[in-house]
Amino acid sequence: MRMIRLRTKLTLFNLLSKTAFAVVVIGLLPFVVKRINTIQTDLELIEKREKTIRIIEEAGIEAFITPDNENTFGSYNILKDEFISLERDTVSEELNYIEISSRLIEDETIDYRVLNYTIYIDDLNYLLQIGKSTETISKTEETTWSVIFVFLIFFIVSTLLLDLFYSKRILKPLEQIVEKIKSASSPLKYSREPVKTTTYDFIQLDQTIKDLMEEIVTLFRKEKEITVDISHELLTPVSITRSKLENLLLSSKLDIEAAEKIEESLHTINRLTTLVNSMLLIARIESHQYLKEDSFSLNAVLSEAIDEISPVAENNDIHINYTLKEDHIISQGNRSLLFSMFFNILSNAVKNSNTGDEIAVSCYRKEKNHLVRIKDNGKGMTNDQLKTLFSRFSTKYKRDGEGTGIGLAITKSIADFHNIDIKVTSETGQGTTFLLVFHKNS
Amino acid sequence: MNILIIEDEKTFASEIQSFLKAEGFICDMADTGKEASEKLSVNLYDFVLLDIGLPDYYGLDLIKEARHAGNDASFIIITARGAVEDKVKGLDLGADDYLAKPFALIELLSRIKAVARRKFHIETQDISLGDLMINIQSRIVTYKTTIVDLTKKEFDLLLYLALNRNKVLTRHQLYEHIWGNILNEQYDSNFIDVHIKNLRKKLNNYVETPWLETVRGIGYMISAD
Repeated sequence: MRMIRLRTKLTLFNLLSKTAFAVVVIGLLPFVVKRINTIQTDLELIEKREKTIRIIEEAGIEAFITPDNENTFGSYNILKDEFISLERDTVSEELNYIEISSRLIEDETIDYRVLNYTIYIDDLNYLLQIGKSTETISKTEETTWSVIFVFLIFFIVSTLLLDLFYSKRILKPLEQIVEKIKSASSPLKYSREPVKTTTYDFIQLDQTIKDLMEEIVTLFRKEKEITVDISHELLTPVSITRSKLENLLLSSKLDIEAAEKIEESLHTINRLTTLVNSMLLIARIESHQYLKEDSFSLNAVLSEAIDEISPVAENNDIHINYTLKEDHIISQGNRSLLFSMFFNILSNAVKNSNTGDEIAVSCYRKEKNHLVRIKDNGKGMTNDQLKTLFSRFSTKYKRDGEGTGIGLAITKSIADFHNIDIKVTSETGQGTTFLLVFHKNS
Repeated sequence: MNILIIEDEKTFASEIQSFLKAEGFICDMADTGKEASEKLSVNLYDFVLLDIGLPDYYGLDLIKEARHAGNDASFIIITARGAVEDKVKGLDLGADDYLAKPFALIELLSRIKAVARRKFHIETQDISLGDLMINIQSRIVTYKTTIVDLTKKEFDLLLYLALNRNKVLTRHQLYEHIWGNILNEQYDSNFIDVHIKNLRKKLNNYVETPWLETVRGIGYMISAD
């Protein structure tokens, strides 16, 4: 389905309905105008008839009809668009009607709308005929027609412009609401400022969305609180078990086999601890319990992380190649979280590299953003693995059956917390590239 | 030295107690805030291990009370809340150190010892391992008169093992002590192995290190008299 803006839709509808209206009006107009004109002409003819009758009564019929002019009187005006005729009528029938008839005047046939009327004077019947040429009538029609047409066009254009202006104005709050939703990167950041409008529906809409967002935020907080609470509860039994096992291990009476088993149990307990702490860490980051109050050089943190991972990398003959030229100052961030982020990505790169591989770390600036690229030429990932890379407990990315894959989930939440974009590209057998985009204000 | 263990989980408290007793401490226990408050007002302790997550008391108030009564016991806070604000608040109130659950008992011991050294102004003595000398104050290792070039991590590892002589330390205990701030689910053992390997290599340039033992299946130990 093609998407059209509400405002455009309204305007289009307006335009269409007005055009349809105009078409209907223009289609019907000739008939209406003709009809109105006919009525108008007839009224005019009747008025002239009354005037003529009054003149005849004043002046007497003899002034018009004499045996000399064969009992007929006729008068045309110069342009022959009107005439009046009076003649003795031998038919006793009373006539009073209007018709269209042709007259031959000086070799010219002209159509007239003619009023026929019988008058009695001195017991004699006279036929009075008053005519108006149809040509004149249709000329008036045309004038009326064009006036109406111009008015119609003017009306449509001006109301359309008004509609456009008004619908833009009236729909502005809706656009503001949409903008508000768009600009909130998460329900936590949804603006509580109400949109200014007097339209009831928009106020309702704005309020409902705000309420829903608040509901989501509450649920989100509750979820995080539950995660934090569960983690705390889990850590106490874990502590007890751990201390018991450690005490056992310290007692000298153990044989080697028992000691090994205890160490294995301790190892498992430690995995559990790491897992719980990771969940706790993510919950805390996502519920913004960490402060962003450090100001520091990004390269300093990055090289610290590289230093930390280097011995392990070198042990596997993996070389970390880095030149940190462009630096970026983080003015509001959490240094130790960003250290963890770099460390996790580097650790991931080392894990997925083969002996003799190289990991390249570089920093550069592009379109006002600062970029850090960590590229390995190790095992790489399939598209499927890429998709689930940042999800917690993703099994697809496991390497040696021990990890839970939560390290990269932590990385992602730290990045989100700092408004850093992470782009990962990978190809099986070719390696993986992590590109971190630090926005101007991140 | 006297230690009061304030912990509402009795099993946990008794594990700590049996560990510290074996290390020569005299331990007392309190499993409620009220009991702890009473014991603190009556007895004199050198150390107080305080779990601030008590059901009947806001744990940090106990520090305030003790300080108010002129009690100068050293407090080490234990908490399942790794939250930064608790840590900062605790240290502001005069706690001497902070441990997040779950912690290694060995780590607890080394923290107590460190606090004790500060408190009683015990001169940190250099530790000698055969011809090698670990100078704790200046953080260097010397062979006769030559300085052995070690990284910070290698030094920390050697020192921690030396301070806990004749105890087997698991890889995880070592990892936690040195990289406590980094959550790492897979690399802990590998990290330690790599650093021990490098450490041995560097030390072996000067002397043989038979005392730096690998205890199969468990971890590492420095055996010395």
